[in-house]
Amino acid sequence: MASEAIAHESEHHAPPPQVAAEIIARELVATTTGASGRFKVWAWFLGIASIAGIVALVLKFIDQSDDSTKWGYVAAMVSFLLSIAGGAPMVAMAPVMAKANWVRPVTRIASLFSFAGVATIIMLIPLVAILPPLVTEGARRRTIWYMAPDYSPHVWTTLSLVLLLVTGIALFYSAALPDFASMRDHATGWRQRLGKRLARGWVGTDSQWRTLRMRIGMFGTFYFLILVFVNFLVTSDFGQSLVPGWRDAILPMYHTVSGFQAGVAGVVIALYFSRKYMKLEKYVHLDAFWSLGRLLFALTLLWIYFFYSSFIVFWYGRSENDIATLNLQVRGPMMGVFIAGMVLIWVVPWWILIWNKVRRGTGAMVVGSFIILVGLLLDRIRTFVPAWSVPPDQIHERWLKVIPEAYWPTLFDVLIMAGGISMVAFIVMMMTRVLPVLSVWQVQEFNLLSKPIRYIRGHATLVAKPD
Amino acid sequence: MSTQSILGLFQQPEPAADAMDGLKEAGFELGTFDVLTGTPYPEGAFGEYVPQHRLFRFPAFGAIIGFTLSVFLTAATQLAYPIVTGGKPILSIFAMLIIMYEMTMLAGVIATVVGIIFESRLPNMKPGIYDTRITEGWIGVVITFDDDSKVADAESVLNKAGALEIKHA
Amino acid sequence: MQQRRELDQVYTNRKLLNGQLDTPKWWAPTVSILGVIVLLGLIVIAIMINKGLGVTGLSRPVYWGLFITTFVFWVGISHAGIMISAILRLTQAEWRRPVTRAAELLTVFSLLTALVFPLIHAGRPWRIAYWIMPYDVARGIYPNIRSPLIMDPVAISTYLIGSSLFLYIALLPDLGNLRDRTAGWKNAMYTVLALGWRGNPRQWKMQTVGGILLSALMLPIFVSVHSIVSWDFAIAAAVEGWHSTIFAPYFVIGAVHSGVSAVVTMMALMRWLWKWDDFIRPEHFDALARPLIVVATGWLGFTFLELTFALYGQDAPEIALREMQMFEWPWNLLFIIFFLTAYAIPVPMWLFKRVRTNIALMFWTSILVNIGMWLERFLIIVPGLARRTPFVYTWEAYRPSAVEWTIFIWSFAWVTFLMLLFSKFFPLVPLFEQKESQVFTDDVMIGRAKVPAIVREAD
Repeated sequence: MASEAIAHESEHHAPPPQVAAEIIARELVATTTGASGRFKVWAWFLGIASIAGIVALVLKFIDQSDDSTKWGYVAAMVSFLLSIAGGAPMVAMAPVMAKANWVRPVTRIASLFSFAGVATIIMLIPLVAILPPLVTEGARRRTIWYMAPDYSPHVWTTLSLVLLLVTGIALFYSAALPDFASMRDHATGWRQRLGKRLARGWVGTDSQWRTLRMRIGMFGTFYFLILVFVNFLVTSDFGQSLVPGWRDAILPMYHTVSGFQAGVAGVVIALYFSRKYMKLEKYVHLDAFWSLGRLLFALTLLWIYFFYSSFIVFWYGRSENDIATLNLQVRGPMMGVFIAGMVLIWVVPWWILIWNKVRRGTGAMVVGSFIILVGLLLDRIRTFVPAWSVPPDQIHERWLKVIPEAYWPTLFDVLIMAGGISMVAFIVMMMTRVLPVLSVWQVQEFNLLSKPIRYIRGHATLVAKPD
Repeated sequence: MSTQSILGLFQQPEPAADAMDGLKEAGFELGTFDVLTGTPYPEGAFGEYVPQHRLFRFPAFGAIIGFTLSVFLTAATQLAYPIVTGGKPILSIFAMLIIMYEMTMLAGVIATVVGIIFESRLPNMKPGIYDTRITEGWIGVVITFDDDSKVADAESVLNKAGALEIKHA
Repeated sequence: MQQRRELDQVYTNRKLLNGQLDTPKWWAPTVSILGVIVLLGLIVIAIMINKGLGVTGLSRPVYWGLFITTFVFWVGISHAGIMISAILRLTQAEWRRPVTRAAELLTVFSLLTALVFPLIHAGRPWRIAYWIMPYDVARGIYPNIRSPLIMDPVAISTYLIGSSLFLYIALLPDLGNLRDRTAGWKNAMYTVLALGWRGNPRQWKMQTVGGILLSALMLPIFVSVHSIVSWDFAIAAAVEGWHSTIFAPYFVIGAVHSGVSAVVTMMALMRWLWKWDDFIRPEHFDALARPLIVVATGWLGFTFLELTFALYGQDAPEIALREMQMFEWPWNLLFIIFFLTAYAIPVPMWLFKRVRTNIALMFWTSILVNIGMWLERFLIIVPGLARRTPFVYTWEAYRPSAVEWTIFIWSFAWVTFLMLLFSKFFPLVPLFEQKESQVFTDDVMIGRAKVPAIVREAD
C-alpha cells in the first residue's frame, strides 16, 4: 500500500496547495517593497544603459539625420521592441478569452509589458523624421497610401503606436483596479496613497466586477486589433516601401505572429525571475510554464510556417523582383544573420521545447526563451537593416538592381540597441514596485476556482468553469 | 494447472475501488488483476496499476524512416531524370522539403497508430473473460490466476466489496 | 455555460446507437434519393470522360473553372475535422465531445470527394498514371517533384490516410460497445473491427495519450495541405492575382472558416435527424460560433492584406484585374454575394448570444458562409484567367456547362450519401467521449452558486 501511494506521488506532480485569500493579498502586496540588493544593482545598471541608449540615439540623430541608409538598426529596434512590448500583453488576453485557468496568475506580468511601449515610441521618433516623404522627384513611391496625403505614414504610424500604448495601459489599468484597492488596504506610504487614488472607490460590488470583466474584454479586443494594425503599418511603411519591388503580403502577419512569440518568451523570462527572486512558487505553479511552453512551441512552428510560405513564393516566382527580394533579405549580405536567426528562433527552441520534461520545468524554458529573443532580434535586423540601407534615390526603380552592401552596427547602434532592450526590462522591473507582479484578485480567483480533490482513489484537480 | 480468471461486476466505482484495495491487501500481485470500464476514468482512480508505455518512441522512429525514404525518393528521382523545369536546379532542396515533410509526417502518423494499437496490446482476438454490461456503465474487476488455490480468496474479496455478480472463465 | 445533464450509460447507448441498432424512418428513402443523384453524377462523369472536356465550358484562356474551384472548396471543408478535433483535444475543451467524430468524418469524405475533381479534370484520368504514379523505373522517367501538382496529391493522400487512421483509432471503444450490443453477422464484423477491445486502463490510457499525440501530428499536416493547394496558384508568376506570399495562411484560415461552418451545419442536421437533443445542445453551437467569429474576422484581415498588397505594386494589369473582380459584370454581383454571405451577414449575427444558441439560425448562417467561401475560391481562380491580356489569340468568356453543374451537385450528394452510409454502421457521436464527460464533470458550490466544474488529472 505504502509503496503504491509513493509511486503515485512520483507519477504526478502534487496538486497546487490552497492558500487563503487574505494571505495572498498580504504576501503579494509585500513583494512591492523591500527589493533585494541584487534587484537594486540590476535596476541601476539597466537604468543607466537605457539613458546611454537615449543619449546615443540623440547623438546619432544629430550626426546622421541626413543619411537614411544608416538607420536600419534603429528600425530593427523599433520592430523588436514592438514585438516584445506589444506581443506580451496578448498573453494576458487570448487565454483569458479561452477561459484557461492557468493564465490567471500570469496576466499581470504580461500586461506590465504594455508600459514598455514607451521605449518603442522613443526609438520611433527619430525614424519618423528620417523616413523619406511619400512623393519624391515628383512621383509617388509604392506604399499602402495610394492617394493619401504626404504625411500619412509618418503621422499614422506614430499615432497608432501611441494608441497601442494607451490601450495597453487601459487594459492593464482596468484589470488592476481591485489590486489598487488591495494596495490601499494593505500597503503603506506612497503606495497606499497611490492605491487609494487609483482604486477609484473599488469595494468589489457585483456591478463593479461586471464592468471590470466587460472592460477587460473590450480593451483586450481593441488591443489586439490595434496591435495587428500597428504591425501592418510598421512593416509596410518602415520596411517594404523603402525597397523598390519588395511586395510581401504576408510580412505584417509574419511580424505579428513572431511578435507574439517574442511576447510569450518575454513573459516566460519575467515570470521565471519574479517567481525565483520574489519567492512566488506558491502562486506561480509549474502548470503556467507548462502551458506557456506549449504556446511557445506552437508559435515556434508558426514562425517557420509563415517564413516558408513567403519564401517559397519568391523562390518559385523567379521574376526580377522576386529574385531581388530574396537576395536582399535572405541570400545576400544578411545570409549569415538570417541563418543564425532561423537556428535560434526555430531549430534550437523547437528541439528544446519538444520535450515534455522541459516544458514542465522552468530552467530550460527560460533558456529557450532567451534564445528565441536573440533569434528574433537577428531576424528583425536581417529584415530592416537591408531595407533601410537601400539608397533613397533608387526608390522609383521597378526592382532593386544593386543589392547594397551590409551595414554593420557602429558603437552608437550597439548602445541604442542595448539601451532599448534595457529600457523594456527596466520599465517592467520598476512597475513591479508599484503593483504586485501577480494579480492579487486573479490569484485569489485561481485558488477559488481550482481545488485539489481525491477522485475515488486518485488525485485530481477540480476546475470550476463559471460563465 | 490451467490459467483461469474471474470477473467481479460492480455498478458503482467506489465498491470497485474497494475490491481493488482488497485484492492488494490479500496479497495479489500487481498486474494479475485489472479493472475494466466503459469509459476512461482519471488515472489512478481505482488505485490500479498505472501502465507504462513507450508510445512516444513510435512517431520518432516512423519519422526517421519516412524522412530517410523521402530524401532518397526526391533526390534520386531528380538525379535519375535530370530535366530542368522552371529554371530550377536539378536538386531543388526547397521543393524537396515539402515532399520530405509530408512523407516524414505520414510515416510518423502511421507509426503512431501502430504504436497505439501495439501499446494497447491489440489486436487480441481472445480477450478473455468479459461482460457486455461494462459498456453500459458497469465496472469489472478481473483477476487472473496461475494458481487455482487463490480463487476462493479473490471471490471473497469481491463479495466483501459488494460485487453484484462474479463470472468464471 | 454548461447545460449539463445527468445521463446514464444505458440511455446514452440507446440514443446514440439509434442509427446502427435500428433504422430511422427517413434513412432508406433519403439514401435512395441520394443514391440516384450519385448514380446520375457518375453517368455524367462517364459521359464527360468518353466525350472529352469539350462538354464543359472550359476553353482558352480559362482552363481552371468550376472543377478546380470545387476541389479547393472540398479541401477547405476537410479542414474542419482535424482543426476541431485536434485543437480541442489539445486544449482539453470540454465541448468538443459531441463534435469530434462528425468533424473527422467530414474530413475523410470531403477529401475523398476533393480528390475526384483533379482526376476527372485531367480529361483522361488514366493518364494520371504517368503524372503521379507509378515510378517508371524501366524507362527512367520520374514525376517532377518540383511541381506543386505532385506535392498536392502527396499532401492530400497524407492527410487522407492520417485522418482515416485517426478516425479509426478514436472509433475503437465505440466498436467495442457496438460489439456488445449486436448479434449475428454484425456482431462478427464489430468483433473483428474492435480488435478485442476490453476497456482496461492500458487501453484507455492509449486512447488519451495517443489521441493527443495524433492530434499534435495531424495539426501540422492539416496546415500544410491547404498551403500546398494554395501554392498551386501562388507560385505561378504568370497569372495576376495569384502570385501572393499570403496565399498559404490565407487559404488555411479561409478553409477553417468554411470547414467549421460546415461542422455547424452538420451538427444541426444530426440533432434534428437523430433527435440527439440531449447530446448536441445549444451550448455547443455557442461554443463553436465564438471561435468562428475570431476565425472569420482573421480571414477578413487576410483578405484585406491580400487586396492591399495586390494593389501595392501599382502594376496596371493587377489593378485591372481587381477592377474586373469587383466592379465589372457579372463578377461584381458574385463579389457582393461573396462578401455578404461569407462575412457581412453571418458574423455580425453571431455576435449575439441569442443567435449563437438558436440552432435554426446557426444552420442557415453556416450555409451562407459556405456559399460565400465557394464564391471566394471562384473569384480567386477564374477572373485571373478570364481577364483579357495581350497576346491571347482566342478568347472566350467562361460559362460553366450543365455537365459541370451536374458534377458539382453530385459532389454534395456524394458526401451526404457517404455520411449516411457510415451512420448506418458507426456512431456519429463518440459514445465514450460522451460518457467520459459524465465522469469528468461535476458541480461545485461556490457560496450559493452552483458552478460547473471539470476534473483535471494532475500532470
